[in-house]
Amino acid sequence: MNAKLTTTPDRRTVLRGGIITAASLPLGVTLASCATGGGGEEETTDGGGEEPGGETSADNPFGMAENTTVDAVIFDGGYGVDYVEFAADILAETHEGSSVEVSPSTQIATELQPRFVGGNPPDLVDNSGAGSIGFNAILDQLEDLNDVIDAPNLEGTTIRDTLYDGVLAPSTYEDKLAAINYVLTVYGVWYSSSLFEENGWTPPTTWDEALELGAAAKEQDLYLFGWGTEAATYYQTLAIESAIKEGGDEVRLALENLEADCWSQDAIQGVFSAMKEAVDAGYFKPGGSGTQFTAAQAQWSNTQEFLLYPSGSWIENEMRDQTTEGFEMKGISSMSLTSSPALGADALHSTAGEPFIVPSDGNTAAGKELLRIMLSKEAAENFAATKLAPTIVRDTVPADGFGSTALVSQTDLLSAAGESIFTFNFVNTYGMNSEQLPIWNSFLDGSKSVADLTSELQAITDRIREDDTIDKVEVS
Amino acid sequence: MTLSGSVIDGQPPNQTTPTGPVPGPRRGRRRKWTLDRISFFIVFLGLPLALFLIFVINPFIQAGYYSLTNWSGFSPEQEFVGLQNFIDLAQDPRFTNAVGNSVVLGLVVPFVTLTIALIFAILITIGGAGRGQIRGVKGAGFYRVVSLFPYVIPGIAIGLIWRLILDPSSGLVNGVLTGLGLDQFESFAWLGNVTTAMPASIFVIVWGFVGFYMLLFIAAIKGIPAEIYEAARLDGAGRARMSWSITLPLIRDNVQTAYIYIGIMALDAYVYMQALNPQGGPDSSTLVMSQQLFRTAFAESKFGYASAMGVVIALVTLVFAALVFTVNRLAGGKDEGGAS
Repeated sequence: MNAKLTTTPDRRTVLRGGIITAASLPLGVTLASCATGGGGEEETTDGGGEEPGGETSADNPFGMAENTTVDAVIFDGGYGVDYVEFAADILAETHEGSSVEVSPSTQIATELQPRFVGGNPPDLVDNSGAGSIGFNAILDQLEDLNDVIDAPNLEGTTIRDTLYDGVLAPSTYEDKLAAINYVLTVYGVWYSSSLFEENGWTPPTTWDEALELGAAAKEQDLYLFGWGTEAATYYQTLAIESAIKEGGDEVRLALENLEADCWSQDAIQGVFSAMKEAVDAGYFKPGGSGTQFTAAQAQWSNTQEFLLYPSGSWIENEMRDQTTEGFEMKGISSMSLTSSPALGADALHSTAGEPFIVPSDGNTAAGKELLRIMLSKEAAENFAATKLAPTIVRDTVPADGFGSTALVSQTDLLSAAGESIFTFNFVNTYGMNSEQLPIWNSFLDGSKSVADLTSELQAITDRIREDDTIDKVEVS
Repeated sequence: MTLSGSVIDGQPPNQTTPTGPVPGPRRGRRRKWTLDRISFFIVFLGLPLALFLIFVINPFIQAGYYSLTNWSGFSPEQEFVGLQNFIDLAQDPRFTNAVGNSVVLGLVVPFVTLTIALIFAILITIGGAGRGQIRGVKGAGFYRVVSLFPYVIPGIAIGLIWRLILDPSSGLVNGVLTGLGLDQFESFAWLGNVTTAMPASIFVIVWGFVGFYMLLFIAAIKGIPAEIYEAARLDGAGRARMSWSITLPLIRDNVQTAYIYIGIMALDAYVYMQALNPQGGPDSSTLVMSQQLFRTAFAESKFGYASAMGVVIALVTLVFAALVFTVNRLAGGKDEGGAS
């Protein structure tokens, strides 16, 4: 044996190892470095900022120049992008020579980050999906869209007068309408009305009835609920809805304003306990924390292994190809805790989704013009008919709901709720969902108690409240 | 005069080499800048260096700079905040948890993968019959090809395939286990339980990489002269003894390289973890540094803070490499001056 084989490492050899590694390292920091690739900081040119002047007229309220190519980046999710292409075709007709380039994207933030920094963002963006850009990051780079709402639609009516009430409030930041949420979403609990009829079940209105239904389902080897790992927080949405119905605005505001002990309010604890009862009784289909969420949803819509699924109204379109024949999907407003909740049994969680934004550095006239066309009757009716979901434009759904029971029940739920429509935004505003997901997965598979669930959710709320670098949005 | 130019490569100074200085006009220090030489330098030195500086060093420096700012990532504005991001990182339980998970991967994945790969490589090269020519087990060629299959599949596809295989209700694994009568695996969420999520993820990564490193080791073992094995066998060494005392010492450089290479991959592991458990696993038990970095940058719009994470990831990787080198030397690896 050579004696040299046992020498200890010296500074040089260790360093050399380090340098070799450094050379082969790019992977490790690729994420950080590609993110910064975009444009330099000095780049302050306005890109498309200086709008090539076009005449403003009744047909062209924002003065979009002739022969414009509108650059629209649209989230390619549950609703696809063809509804924007439909509006694009109208734009090409009404503005001869102009056209729209619709680019689908599923990763809005990653794709558009360099363009925002470089000062050449698209003219219109549907900032939606799991990879969307946080609003507090780009708020001051967005156009105020109030003038779109005050403009006439293609039929000549002012757009503001054609919209459902209150749909603009969630995207208004201190009088600035930073986004127009295009699609009206109704949240609730969805079920197969044909299956319920067959078994003589009625959809539950309170948590007690839900637990009874769970027992009845179990007799037939069915489960009451099920979940997928990426969508476990749908049950958080359900719990918050039930709690707000039960306790009223007080409950909602405490959560929205990140108050201390907001998760310990009686109404929320009551719902958590009812859920825990269902978990312990085995009413949740086991294994959800390891199941991909659309696979889990197919266990409800296709193989019908469980009865109820809490979700937004996108569920019908999302599962369209994986819904069994004759499912007859219907929705109910989230179960109340008691039979006389503060907001009334018909109170409904509904808000608009798919936020369309017009970046200030783009060709704003072009972006607004396309948005105006989308909000006109023809495009809105097309959306409702092809996507089976209402837009924020009123009266676009006929009584038969284009043959969709789910769409009819959405309209019914909305009219039953009347003015008792509520929504809450704190989960999205502060990007809490990804942190809450693992907690809910563990709660639903039975490994966490109500106390664990409460304290861990409270810890997230508290951390964000105490973090001064995060801008808070005061909700009233 | 005759010594000039011969001190390189650690050769003793007084040793004359055949390529020593030659008398004549070529001894002049200045050489003409002919087109040939200039183009040679541009193509073989200038271009690679420029590419390296622009696409490797420059982003490093940029990321390093951004890590000292509070840049949101979506506007040109940013403030210089010094080391604040790093101070915050040290106190951020979400990031320290991710570092912990990555370190577990960095320790377990290379060790398990390379151990299995080495065992297979030995079986295929010298594990065969104890008499006659040194050869592998029967059907070695077949195993060699088959075991490379997983490496041919892209990482993201491996992740997605295994996610389906591990599906609680309709996955292959639970189907087989319940078929064998093990009813406790009915709807068992391998990726959804704190105790099994990380081991299952590690298993998937190991599955994907064993074949490649096995092939690497086979190539190294094939480079060892058969006479050494034959001599050892004449001296009465069995297969285990030959593996431990001959194969391993002779391919330790390959093992070290492989260790660093797969270690870097394991410390990243973004593709696998994102495919298997995109939300970070039960109680964030499979959330790794790169996932937390991505989330911070794009979901929370904190690019400065995310860049700081990138810098920490780079440092962790460097420390890992230094550790591997150190351990290898302490365990008796070759030293700097030895023939290599």
